[in-house]
Amino acid sequence: MKCTFVPSVCSYCGTGCGLLFETIDGRINSTIPMKTHPVSQGKLCIKGWNLHEHINSPMRLKQPMVKTFGRFINASWEEAIQITADRFKEIIVEHGPDSVGVLVSAKMSNEENYLAQKLARAVFGTNNVDHCARL
Amino acid sequence: MKKKVKKWLEDGSVDVFLGYKMVHGHPLPHCFTLEDVAEVDELIVSEARYSLEKIATHLTRQDPKIKIGLLARDCNQRAINILSVWHQLDLEKIKTLNVNCCPSNLKAHPDCSYMTVETPGAYKQQVGIDNTIDTETADAFSKEAKTIRWMYEFQKCIKCYGCRNICPVCFCTECSLEHKDLIGPGNLPPQVPIFHLVRAAHMAGRCIDCGLCEDACPMDIPLRLLYRKVNRIVKDVFDYDTGESSEQSPFSLIGDSVKLTLKPM
Ligand code: SF4
Ligand code: SF4
Ligand code: SF4
Repeated sequence: MKCTFVPSVCSYCGTGCGLLFETIDGRINSTIPMKTHPVSQGKLCIKGWNLHEHINSPMRLKQPMVKTFGRFINASWEEAIQITADRFKEIIVEHGPDSVGVLVSAKMSNEENYLAQKLARAVFGTNNVDHCARL
Repeated sequence: MKKKVKKWLEDGSVDVFLGYKMVHGHPLPHCFTLEDVAEVDELIVSEARYSLEKIATHLTRQDPKIKIGLLARDCNQRAINILSVWHQLDLEKIKTLNVNCCPSNLKAHPDCSYMTVETPGAYKQQVGIDNTIDTETADAFSKEAKTIRWMYEFQKCIKCYGCRNICPVCFCTECSLEHKDLIGPGNLPPQVPIFHLVRAAHMAGRCIDCGLCEDACPMDIPLRLLYRKVNRIVKDVFDYDTGESSEQSPFSLIGDSVKLTLKPM
């Protein structure tokens, strides 16, 4: 049996509490607060304590879905990205760049969030960027 | 210590050994195995305490036959006793390596995260309960003062369930603290004082006074003191020292069956 404790940072809000993922045979089993973490000092809120749950959730989406005629249909990444790009283009041409916005997520890394705001500002041409932890 | 652990892993008296290792400057729990036996050289006794016995129960749930060795301070040892009383761990499959521990009358040189107790601020001293006092001092407040002071503490609760999640002797798969009629979802603060009193009642004969719950409570609620009081009552009524032995607990006895009747109104 292999059991590991992987140090990580909670991605649910801007505080950045330190935690450990307890894995047993490669599967995340629980979240443990990191006692010596300078930010959280061994404490977590309810979101941090349950951080591992969405990873093994059967509800988790593992591939993109496109809403076609009111129903969600599985799609490939290329397809989904193409459709999204086409729709964005249409909307921007018709209503201007400030008619769209980008909502980024605490479940992404800092670098990915950076890229998302870069896409919004440099490609779409809008400052409408916000983050789920601020909602 | 390292030699002993290596020997245990090599001669198969344990399948895994739970101890601590320095990772990126943090002492973290670590599971040592025979495959990476060289790692045992990095085994340390960490100042930060984690509930290794709780991790042992997780491993046992995955594989009931697994033999686990672990580093045990006194609190870990008490928790192991209680987990054995409640059939969560089998003492025959657990091997402990005892190490120095918390501040107490018995140990002059403690070695744990409880070494530095924070002094509570002036406001908390004025209206709440100082986490560092003993049960006698807490009992000395008048009835009204007790209610007001404890309610001040309880209403701070952010219902993070940290106290339950971190507790080595909280192992129930269905928890009363999530019962919809008792606590109810969605309310903040949770039903006070029910939330805390339900937990306190469940800690009778279970809480081994490790203090991990208070350590993990973001709101600095004096949980350890509360459960100490509960187990003081257990001591007075049943003469039972929680965690001191792995013998029959007065709370896990199956007595004669009784038929419950409604109290006359
Ligand atoms: S544990 Fe709670 S407070 Fe800490 S980073 Fe996660 S969401 Fe934020
Ligand atoms: S002190 Fe807290 S964490 Fe430790 S056994 Fe008691 S209730 Fe559980
Ligand atoms: S750890 Fe503290 S704040 Fe969190 S649920 Fe328990 S008593 Fe409430």
